[in-house]
Amino acid sequence: MFKSIKYVLQENFNNVYRIYCISKYELLSDMRDSRLGVFWNFANPAIQIMTYYFVFGLILSRGNVEGVPYIQWMLSGMVIWFFISPCITNGANAIFSKTKVITKMKFPVSILPATVVMKELFNHFCLMILLVLFLLFQGIRPSLYWFELIYYLFAAIVFAISLSMITSVLNMLMRDTRKLILACMRLLLYLTPILWSIDRLEKTGWQLMVRYVMKANPIYYIVCGYRDCFIFHRGILYYGKQMIFFWIFTFILFVIGCTLMYKFKHKFIDMI
Amino acid sequence: MENYAIKFEHVSKIYKLNKKKDGKTKSNITQRFYALKDISFTIPHGEVVGILGTNGSGKSTLSLILAGISQIDEGEMTINGEQALVAINTGLNPQLTGLENINVKGALLGLNKKRIQEITDGVIEFAELGDFLYQPVKKYSSGMKSRLGFSISLYLNPDIIIVDEALSVGDKGFAQKCLDKMNELKDEGKTIIFISHSLPQVRGFCQKAMWIEGGELRRYGDVDEVCDEYAEYVDFYNSLKKKEKKKYNDEKFAKRILENPEISTWERILDKLKR
Repeated sequence: MFKSIKYVLQENFNNVYRIYCISKYELLSDMRDSRLGVFWNFANPAIQIMTYYFVFGLILSRGNVEGVPYIQWMLSGMVIWFFISPCITNGANAIFSKTKVITKMKFPVSILPATVVMKELFNHFCLMILLVLFLLFQGIRPSLYWFELIYYLFAAIVFAISLSMITSVLNMLMRDTRKLILACMRLLLYLTPILWSIDRLEKTGWQLMVRYVMKANPIYYIVCGYRDCFIFHRGILYYGKQMIFFWIFTFILFVIGCTLMYKFKHKFIDMI
Repeated sequence: MENYAIKFEHVSKIYKLNKKKDGKTKSNITQRFYALKDISFTIPHGEVVGILGTNGSGKSTLSLILAGISQIDEGEMTINGEQALVAINTGLNPQLTGLENINVKGALLGLNKKRIQEITDGVIEFAELGDFLYQPVKKYSSGMKSRLGFSISLYLNPDIIIVDEALSVGDKGFAQKCLDKMNELKDEGKTIIFISHSLPQVRGFCQKAMWIEGGELRRYGDVDEVCDEYAEYVDFYNSLKKKEKKKYNDEKFAKRILENPEISTWERILDKLKR
């Protein structure tokens, strides 16, 4: 177990420049593909947000959530979903999409999930700039709590890489993995209280059980964190149990991911 | 350092075959197949070895193993020195310009920033791209693409270079240029493994040759002897009639199937998943 963790960490840290270069040029080539290039990185989430705002904000007229206008409340949580969601879907494809490279070169396969996450990180920064401008426009003042974003973003990155390591290897074993993940993404979006507030669930009976399950969702922990930084200004330690659970869960994912990577490191080429 | 670059001792590589789906055979077991069977040889430092063989004889598998990409299943393999497979078209991104692709492929190959800057000029000169350097690679002719890919691979500076069918692309002039460059590397004392279908190229460039047939090592020795024998074999094979050819191939194939392989439980689960 320790050997595999050491192996993966070493390979990743020895190849930081490689990770940077691969993700940079992937991004560049994506942009060259279309005439408007980087514009789509903004337009795509913007259109999605408008859809959700139209349905939940206007039609179902949520009004204020926890004393905050719905659009501010939704956006501050949604922004990290737009980072995690492509990380999960593309992460599952991380190794398979590089089949050509790993069959022709000696290549450290375990860095591939990190390259995918790096690439999405750029998009995330673009969105964050837009969000901050929007919130300032809405009259939210910057505060010291915004620095907590660094912690929550770090948590999201570690979570995304750990999960991608598992899914990308499983995807090499069975190509069905990615199809399953793609099919479940929408489900995951609605099961995570991003578009609706968890307070709509009552604290009794079966709804209490659902609440517990929701709170255990690691993505929800990060979503809550982002909201706190922007709107509610709560400290990192506000969610004691959720934080502990998140890190234990992520660590287990990471260990499983490392073990799989290590076990199959020379077998990928025979799995295609 | 030992006096040999590569040493193979009874090396075998086993591939899995999907079970036949012709409706006749009902066996549930994934068949195992020798891609390479019991191969032993030693290649000294600084030697240039050509590898010959018909299609499907295991040449490419051998090159992947030599490059350290694929793992062997049986036997022992010792390699002294850094080895690299010259992969021509891999790692080039069609959307990006030639110059950017030098960075991309350099990074994929694991070069650091400084080294990439060092090699850039050399690559540009060798690839003779001219103004196309700033055009996206998707606009390149296939010859240009391989020139770019080949030049980047050559600048890796490994001790052992494996060239797989690399010179079959591009025009004569470029093939000659590559050969010249490889001769230069030869004089520097690099070990070169040269995989090719072209007998004249092998004869002209290599000192030793290896002939692989049906996953087994038929002959390994002086280049002219092996080439003559291989040419004879190809003539013999081509003279066979269609039916004889089929029978001959089937026999060869049957010899490579593993009888009663020992499969661990873990492997068995994988087989089921991979179906």
